[in-house]
Amino acid sequence: MNKNIQNLKFVFAPRTVAIVGASATANKIGNVIIRNFLDARFQGDIFPINPKYTELFGLKCYQKVSDVPGTIDCVIIATPAETVPMIVEDCVKKKVGGVIVLSGGFEEVNRTDLAQKIAEIAKKNNLPIIGPNCLGVYNPYTKVDSIFLPRYKLERPKAGGIAFVTQSGAVGSTVMDLAAFYGIGISKFISYGNATVLDESDYLEYLMHDKDTKTIILYLEGAKDGRKLLQTMKKVNKIKPIIALKAGKGVGGQAAARSHTGNIAGSYLAYNAAFKQAKVTEADGIIEVFDFVKIFDQTKPKGNRIAVLTNGGGIGVLTTDYIESEGLSLAKFSDETKKELAKILPSYGTVANPLDLVADAGVEAYEKAIDVMMNDPNIDALIVIVLTQTPPIDERIIHVLTKASDDKRKPIATISIGGTYTEVYRKILESKGVPSYNSPRAAVKAIERLITYSRYWEQLKRK
Amino acid sequence: MTLIEDFNTLEKRGFRLLPYVLAKNEEDAVQAAKKIGYPVAMKIVSPEIVHKTDVGGVRIKIKNAEMLRNAYKEITENAKGKKIDGILVQKMARKGVELIIGGKKDAQFGHMIVLGLGGIYVEIFRDISARICPLVKSDVEEMVAELKVHPLLEGARGKKPINKKMLERLVLRVCRFMMEEDIKEMDLNPVVFDELGCDIVDVRFSR
Repeated sequence: MNKNIQNLKFVFAPRTVAIVGASATANKIGNVIIRNFLDARFQGDIFPINPKYTELFGLKCYQKVSDVPGTIDCVIIATPAETVPMIVEDCVKKKVGGVIVLSGGFEEVNRTDLAQKIAEIAKKNNLPIIGPNCLGVYNPYTKVDSIFLPRYKLERPKAGGIAFVTQSGAVGSTVMDLAAFYGIGISKFISYGNATVLDESDYLEYLMHDKDTKTIILYLEGAKDGRKLLQTMKKVNKIKPIIALKAGKGVGGQAAARSHTGNIAGSYLAYNAAFKQAKVTEADGIIEVFDFVKIFDQTKPKGNRIAVLTNGGGIGVLTTDYIESEGLSLAKFSDETKKELAKILPSYGTVANPLDLVADAGVEAYEKAIDVMMNDPNIDALIVIVLTQTPPIDERIIHVLTKASDDKRKPIATISIGGTYTEVYRKILESKGVPSYNSPRAAVKAIERLITYSRYWEQLKRK
Repeated sequence: MTLIEDFNTLEKRGFRLLPYVLAKNEEDAVQAAKKIGYPVAMKIVSPEIVHKTDVGGVRIKIKNAEMLRNAYKEITENAKGKKIDGILVQKMARKGVELIIGGKKDAQFGHMIVLGLGGIYVEIFRDISARICPLVKSDVEEMVAELKVHPLLEGARGKKPINKKMLERLVLRVCRFMMEEDIKEMDLNPVVFDELGCDIVDVRFSR
């Protein structure tokens, strides 16, 4: 790992942070950020930098970074683009660990000269610079938070195992807000903007070594360096699964008319090819990113034989349709399983897959059936459908499903479809780490992606 | 680059093309067909014509000299007013599945290969799969499996599966050629596959 990538640790886990452009004016970027750190009770020292003030939020305010006594691990810059190269110079003088440049006004407005300046300084000094033109980072473990959207408007997700690398701040912030809403835990959030110094591949490389990160989400519009990205994705995805979301899929006007291949191969086709070659899981849209990422926390299945458990026949049939169209198979229960399941069912029930517990099934029936299925070697993964609307289902089902999800012998996806009551129940499940879906299609697709990745994982192990 | 120069370049690089002769006049064409052996196909060669079929510049399944003379007259009549390099007389391709094997140099990822359902349906069905160069054998296997036309390649409806070894080798050869000669865009389209092998019917590339 390159020195400047290694040095990102100063950005993610700093003991001291300086905020350049810190401000007393409400809603200014430099105001929101300093409040982020204070409100989240950041454990290290915070140094506001702004020649206009001597004190901010009860903290001593400095004229420039090099005026601060002692070492500074991380500097967050939120001042106009023209001032940034000078401030970065000052950071080098102060031997700062890493820098986040939030300010826009670089490549995106054709000021490549300014971008080049900071790139040169960074390169010469192994200084990692995130951005410019970005939201920077959020690390719930250390409370570093340069997202300049107020916490009361954009809830911050709790600590967890999912890292999110995003080119777009807009997509990044909505994903963070949704993750917080569903109680999904984040390890690192990186909005990298123009990728002037460090690019998408560098962040993937860092996260591969990051002990808190288990799964990586990558949102891309265009790569800084495609070939490097392919090589890096190949390497990283072997260790930690990457879920990729690519925007800008149109064929566009760049196609040459002379050749068929030129006509049909837009730039997205190359990204799609690269994802396939690296065995990266590609999602179609923000919601699907969540669908996929939450199941990747489950145990890797050994095969594609699915058992479906339901208290409503129709949803079971719909689920079966998607199991078929996604190329998965319905498990054939062992004789032992059939015998045990017959004991759970009412006299008019039949043992089959999907297993319909029927609408008067209570929580106990679910608990027993899941237990039997966990023990059946002919089953690789479970889809549990719960119609929360039926009278006998109460909140104890949450405990049963959480236990099944924590069991870790087999992966489980749950499906519940409904209105306000059901959505509240789903939110609780999500916060307990149980993959919950409100559509059979989403659940089956997610489980298929996990199975495909697991198969790749198994192949690697055998090599 | 003319078509014949392109043909020569590819043959030098180990691509086996269908036997052909570029005939400059009717007598030439008759002699060529005799040498190649009937049945043959005839195609207009003109720098001003890209889609030969659309202008009536192609005649296929020509079985004898009489048919050939008629076809020659028709094609030249259809192309009246256009600059003509000659008429390509080519051995008739085998019957089978028509595929396209192509490639281009992507601005971000460099050379890449596209495999798909070929012939005149390429742009309509867009049944294609792509990979970034260099490719390995398993990439080609995966590309084949991704195509909607895949069952046909595996021998649907009592047909024998196509010669996948040959397909694999050809795709890897295209990949090598693209990279070594730094080709910008390339099409082998169609390449006709059956259980025994394949015929490369038409080629096009640019540097």
